[in-house]
Amino acid sequence: MELESFLFNIVVLSMIMNIALALYGIFTRPSLVKKIISLTIFSDTINTLVIIIGFRHAVPNPIPPVAIEIPPTPQYLKQFVMQAVDPLPQALVLTAIVIGLAVMLFLMFTTLQIYRIYGTTDVRKISRLRG
Amino acid sequence: MARIIHIFIVVSLVLLVAILSMALSMGGFGFAMPPSDVRTLARIFLNTTFNLDDKYRYISAMSPEAVTAIVWDYRGLDTLFETSVMFIAIVGALAISRGAGEKLLKTSVSKQGMSLITKTITRITIVMILAVAASIALHGHLTPGGGFQGGATIAVVPMLLIVVFSLYLFSKMMTVYKAVTLRSIGLIGIALSTFIVLIIALLYGSSAYVFQNQPKIYSQYGLPSYIEPIVLGGTLLLFNTFEAFAVAFGFVALFILFTFPEDVMKNIIIGDE
Repeated sequence: MELESFLFNIVVLSMIMNIALALYGIFTRPSLVKKIISLTIFSDTINTLVIIIGFRHAVPNPIPPVAIEIPPTPQYLKQFVMQAVDPLPQALVLTAIVIGLAVMLFLMFTTLQIYRIYGTTDVRKISRLRG
Repeated sequence: MARIIHIFIVVSLVLLVAILSMALSMGGFGFAMPPSDVRTLARIFLNTTFNLDDKYRYISAMSPEAVTAIVWDYRGLDTLFETSVMFIAIVGALAISRGAGEKLLKTSVSKQGMSLITKTITRITIVMILAVAASIALHGHLTPGGGFQGGATIAVVPMLLIVVFSLYLFSKMMTVYKAVTLRSIGLIGIALSTFIVLIIALLYGSSAYVFQNQPKIYSQYGLPSYIEPIVLGGTLLLFNTFEAFAVAFGFVALFILFTFPEDVMKNIIIGDE
């Protein structure tokens, strides 16, 4: 039990470290491409963290994670509710992934066009451009 | 000045990590271990996702997979607007590209693409990828997966075709405008699926809710969810199919825009000014 708690805390701690590193990349790297890479790491870490919030320590773990007895008897359904993880964070993460993907593709295409027109992705140079 | 800002950012991020880890170790997040129980809301979702009991029959989504039931039934309107966000991102990319979709066909070059071995293997794997994608998308109401995941898997195929057979060959069967039109057809399918139960009810001279899937107490209409021994999932199957279609062609449009040849793009950007 102690060991499991320790390992779980290490997982969450590594995600906090990951968030800090991604934020460092977003704040300090001048290249737009590296900013976008950091942004993907950031959003993926947040999504994983949200899935961990929905996780439960069920013993024994249900395999597979869906209801397989069709139609389900009340006893089976009760056992299923006792074992299954929280589905709501997974549904929200699915939404977040798709929206994040759409925004990411738009950002990538914008960066590509900026590079084609101005010949640089350095924000310090782009901010000095006129006209 | 830039050095001071850099040091400030580093110090504040280290402080962020220290404070969050301290909160974690003292139980500030509410968990030091994954809990052995779920929240009440999750229990309601899990209990009503496939329940034939009389008490729950009229609030059940009748799909064994709770995540798909939440995405397309309990929170259907949310997902509808999420789909439109992706559509708007594609429209934005099209607007920035200054009509780059049309002009590639004129500059057709033969003998493009990778070697014969790669092309043969790609021809075989494309069929497998499509089979897996169809399985993910059409079984979305039974197993983990659904329209988005299936559509993203289908989107691997155009990427492979562009890389292996070259964009010139690919643009003979698919252009940006064709892909966006097909994506719009998928979105129209999704929009029709939201009204299909209402249309059926109106034909019978009654009324139903928008985004209704299963029979509710005040409107007894709904698509069949369960025909012995197949689980159909009502409108969930329709939504997953159209969503996979829409997502796949949205990706096709973006991939074509991304892999546009640099010299052609330069001419388009500079040429008209």
